[in-house]
Amino acid sequence: MSLKLREAVVRRGAFRLSADFETPTDGVTVVFGPSGAGKSMLLSSIAGLHRLETGRVEFNGRVLEDAGARSRIAAHARGIGLVFQDARLFPHRTVRGNIEYAERRRPAARNAPIVVEIARRLEIEELLNRPVRNLSGGERSRVALARAIVSAPELLLLDEPFAALDGRRRRAFLTLLRELSREQSLPMMIVTHQVDEVAEVADNVVAVTAGRVVGHGAASDVMRRAEFAALLDRRDLGARVDAGAVAGGHGGGGVWIRADSVLLAAEEPRGISARNVWRGTIASIVREIDGAVLVSLATEAGYISARITPEALADLQLEEGATAWAVVKSHAL
Amino acid sequence: MLTAEEMQILATSLGVAGRAVLFSLPVAIAFAWALSRPKFPGKWIVDAVAHLPLVLPPVLVGYFLLLLFGVRGPVGSWLRDAFGIQLAFTAEGAALATAVMAFPLMVRAIRLSFEATDRGLFEAAAVLRAGPWDRFWSMALPLAWPGVLAGAVTAFAAGLGEFGAVITFASNVEGQTQTLPLAIYSALQVPNGEETALRLAAISMTAAVTGLVLAELLQHWARRRLEA
Repeated sequence: MSLKLREAVVRRGAFRLSADFETPTDGVTVVFGPSGAGKSMLLSSIAGLHRLETGRVEFNGRVLEDAGARSRIAAHARGIGLVFQDARLFPHRTVRGNIEYAERRRPAARNAPIVVEIARRLEIEELLNRPVRNLSGGERSRVALARAIVSAPELLLLDEPFAALDGRRRRAFLTLLRELSREQSLPMMIVTHQVDEVAEVADNVVAVTAGRVVGHGAASDVMRRAEFAALLDRRDLGARVDAGAVAGGHGGGGVWIRADSVLLAAEEPRGISARNVWRGTIASIVREIDGAVLVSLATEAGYISARITPEALADLQLEEGATAWAVVKSHAL
Repeated sequence: MLTAEEMQILATSLGVAGRAVLFSLPVAIAFAWALSRPKFPGKWIVDAVAHLPLVLPPVLVGYFLLLLFGVRGPVGSWLRDAFGIQLAFTAEGAALATAVMAFPLMVRAIRLSFEATDRGLFEAAAVLRAGPWDRFWSMALPLAWPGVLAGAVTAFAAGLGEFGAVITFASNVEGQTQTLPLAIYSALQVPNGEETALRLAAISMTAAVTGLVLAELLQHWARRRLEA
């Protein structure tokens, strides 16, 4: 069970997106990359809203599009849902009318949650009879999500679904997304450019930059690679650790630990408030352009990076192969 | 207020313009939809056909109709033989002539309305399993509806005043094809007819202005509905 793009090329004006990857369709795949990388276009192409110039798209063994064979299943017949970044609610219908639009077109054979039930989960029950005109950004994105889920697609694509929500609410809804994905056995593919979100919800990652897919695979694997690190802002450099290995880590898949929020100790720290202390071996020491030093530690929780000053490096007399302790405050997670 | 004769003329006018709009509206919607689509082969022909009545002299349109739908015309003779329908010199004929003349107005208004619709909404409908036909009925038409209505009202108001094509094709038969402008014309042909003409002109003005105001209100409503 997988989604496969083979030498797929899509062109829009001067922008060209090429993709060649395969990702399992159970759980959550995150499409990650800087803005303008072509993430939205990748989703639109899978949904059938853009025509492939070359290559093919396959979903669970069914060929959705094959440019070479000139065969193509239209968007409405693919059974692939898409939640747009700008929600795209139907202005001539109420919130309920929007959701029922999806319900009415759902094949009888596919079961899906009842409208009121999904409205309750997404906290839009009160809005059901309102026109969509006066909704806030966060409300709109939740209505769009409800609409898409009620349509019971075989794969749900989400383009930065919670960009309009503040950090805390966004986390809550990402967790809810994960739950819904599991309960409905609904594979999801989510676009985001926030690295914390990738670590948190992704089972698999597709990394995109400048119109190319530069990495794909299990989150724990892809997020460790140099191609992935190359997509990050310097401030965001860090490492993914399984949520289970972290005190104060909240449900879901993993936690992103930024190098800037990690302390290094040359001796085992005692009597400190930080809840996360990992012992490890120094795997690499890299000097950054501005002189700061990035130390990578192999611990039982996985690799952890710490950014320290050159003075600290000299004081602690750290070197590759030496033992050190990484310390992270729970609040930094 | 109005004399029986004036009532009769107003009724004829309303009937003719009403039928004209009713029957040409579906065709106008189809043309407008086609023209609002991105480029397709032959689009300029469709565009030209839709706009032809706007640039041709109305008398010429009436004459063409006469050639085509007159009793000896190819379509006219067929209609008579097959269905016993005669269009030339009847109220139905007046409605046909009015419909042809008002057609470009309708197409324009409806097309603008289609074009103003956010294409993204059609994509959103498509990924909810709505096919092209479904999207037309469930999205395009309801979203353009106020514009369609406004186009119809404008065409109706203009249709009340159609003269050249109607008099050529349907002639000026009192109680049958004599609409407001035709009646005004007749009144001006007889001595001391100015008073009758003025009264008819007032009725005509009132009807036209009412139509325009109504169309403007509908357009306003349309804009408000689309900016969600």
